[in-house]
Amino acid sequence: MLQLTSQLTRGTFTFQVDCRLSEPVTGIIGASGSGKTTLLHMVAGLITPAAGRIVLNNVVLFDSESGVSVPPHRRRLGLVFQDCRLFPHLSVADNLSFGKRLLPPREQRFSLNEVVELLELEPFLRYRPAQLSGGQAQRVAVGRALLASPRMLLLDEPLASLDWRLKQQIMPFLRRVRDVTQIPMLYVSHDSKEVLDLTDRVVVLDGGRVVGAGPVVDIIQDPRVWRQLRLQGLVNILPLTVVSHDRNESLTHLRTRPLATETDRSPADVSGPFLDALAGKEIHAMLRPEDIALAGSKLTGVSIQNQIHGRVVRLIHTPDRDVCVVDIGIPLMVELSPSGVRELGLATGNPVWCLFKSSALQYLESSPR
Amino acid sequence: MVWLSHEEWVVLGLSARVAICCAAAVAIPGIACGWLLARTRFPGKTLVDAILHAPLVMPPVVTGYLLLVVLGRRGIVGEALYSHFGISLAFTWLAAVVASAVMAFPLMIRSVRIAIEMADPKLEAAAQCLGASPLRTFLTITLPLARPGIITGLVLAFARSLGEFGATIIFAGNIQGETRTLPLAVYSFMQSPGSDASAFRLVLISILLSLGALVVSEFMSRRLTRFERMAG
Repeated sequence: MLQLTSQLTRGTFTFQVDCRLSEPVTGIIGASGSGKTTLLHMVAGLITPAAGRIVLNNVVLFDSESGVSVPPHRRRLGLVFQDCRLFPHLSVADNLSFGKRLLPPREQRFSLNEVVELLELEPFLRYRPAQLSGGQAQRVAVGRALLASPRMLLLDEPLASLDWRLKQQIMPFLRRVRDVTQIPMLYVSHDSKEVLDLTDRVVVLDGGRVVGAGPVVDIIQDPRVWRQLRLQGLVNILPLTVVSHDRNESLTHLRTRPLATETDRSPADVSGPFLDALAGKEIHAMLRPEDIALAGSKLTGVSIQNQIHGRVVRLIHTPDRDVCVVDIGIPLMVELSPSGVRELGLATGNPVWCLFKSSALQYLESSPR
Repeated sequence: MVWLSHEEWVVLGLSARVAICCAAAVAIPGIACGWLLARTRFPGKTLVDAILHAPLVMPPVVTGYLLLVVLGRRGIVGEALYSHFGISLAFTWLAAVVASAVMAFPLMIRSVRIAIEMADPKLEAAAQCLGASPLRTFLTITLPLARPGIITGLVLAFARSLGEFGATIIFAGNIQGETRTLPLAVYSFMQSPGSDASAFRLVLISILLSLGALVVSEFMSRRLTRFERMAG
C-alpha cells in the first residue's frame, strides 16, 4: 500500500497530490504536463517534494516533517523509463544483472533465467543495447527492473515511444509480469487503453492534482475525470476466450472471462473478426463505448452479429454524453446521447440489449501464442 | 634504433619516465576536478576553473617561475618540505614531472570534463533506481562512459610532458641525465657545434611521438561519440 501526500511548485506548475493506492496494479492517467511523471519520480526519489510524506507498506520513504528522505538507491523501487535508459557500455545480460548483483542472494526474488524466460530475452543476451529495437529494449528495461527485486514496479509510459503494432507485442509481456511476479505496479500513461488493459483501478491527474481515484466506472461521472479519460481514449477492454471459428463467415466466436468485479451473470458469447488462434486461447479485445448501441428488446432482421443481453448497473451523466454501464458478465461502458437515454427509458436494473458489429471488436494481441 | 648514441638513449629514457609519471600524476586529480567542474555547482567555480586552466594560457616560463617561488628550497611550500622531510624538488627529475604535470593538468581536466558532461545523467539516475549508491554509480556508469575521454586526457598529458620546455627548464634545469628531456636535449644539441645530427634524430622522434599521440586521442574521441550515439 502506497500513501502519498506531496506538494511541489516549479515555475507556474503546482503539484499537489494526496492519494492512497492499495490495489496491486494502479494506472495513472493524465495528459502530458498533468504531473504523472512527477508523481512517479517522487515515489522513486528522483524528485524531492517541497513538503509531504510518502509511505510504502509502512516504510517511510519521505517525510518533510521528520526530515526523512530515503535516497533512490535504498528505496528498492523498479522504475522503468519511457526512454529505457539501458547502459550503452554493457551487454544486455549485464544490463539485466546490474541491480541484481547489488543484492545479497537471499534478497534476490528472481533468477536471471526466470526473467529471461518470462520476457523471452534469450536471443539478445549478448547484444549491446544499440542493437535492440525499441520494443526489445523496453523488455530488457522491464527485466532489469524486475531483477533488482523491487517492492513496487513503477512504469513511466513504457510504451509511449512505440507504434501501435509494437505496443500490442509488449502488452502481453506486461500482463504476464503482472500475473506471474505479483509485484505491485504503478503504470503511468497518457493512453487510457494501455492502462485499462492492465487494470481498471486508476488515478486521474489534471494540472498536478488528483481529480479522481478508484475503479473507472466509479469515478467516470466526475466531469474532470470524464474529460481526461475521453481525451486519453476511454475504451472497454474485454478479456475473452476463443471458442470456435466460422471460416465461411470469417468470424471467430469468443466468450467473456469474468473479472474480479461482482456479477451474477453467466459469461456472454460474442463474435469478432476472424482470429488465427486455437480454441481455448485467452486474449483481450478493445471495444469503443461509442461503437455500442442499446436496444430495449432483441432485434430481428438486422445484420449486427452481436446482440448481447445485459442489465444496466449504472447510468452516468457527463457534460456532453451519457455513459451507461451494462453488466454482460463483465461491465461494459456504452456511450449514448441524453435523448437516447430518455427514449429507451433507461434506469438502473433494466434489462437491455447491447448491439455492436463484429468488426468493432479489435484484438489486442497481434501475435498469438 | 641502434643508430642512437648512448646520450640520446638516456634522453629518451628520461623523457619516457617523466612523461609516464606525469600522466600518472594527473590521472586521479584530473578525474576529480573534471567531475567537479562537470557535475557540481559551487560559489567561485568560475575562478577555480580559471586558475586550473591558467597554465594553458600563461607563458610556460612564468609557470616555471611560480613553481620555483612556491616549491623551490626557499619557497613557501618548498622550505617546509625541505626542513620537515629533507625533500628538495627543484632541479631533480621529479621537478620535471611536477612542471609538466602542472602544464598538462588543464588538458586532462578539459577532456575529462567534456566526457563526463556527455555521459547522460539520466543513466546515472537509472542506476540509482536499480540500487547503486552514488559512488558505485560513478564507478560503474559514469567512469566507463567517460573512459575514452579519460584516456584522451592521459594521452594528451603524456604528449604535453614530452614536449614541455619552458616550465621545466626554469624549475628543473637542464641537467644531463637528470632533467634533460627531449626538447631540452634538442635545444642543447642545437647549441653545441657538430651535434646537428643528434638534434635532427631527436626532432624526428618527437614528431613521430606527437603524431602517434594525436592519432590515439582522435581514435578515443570517436569512440566517445559512438557511445553517445548509442546512449541516445
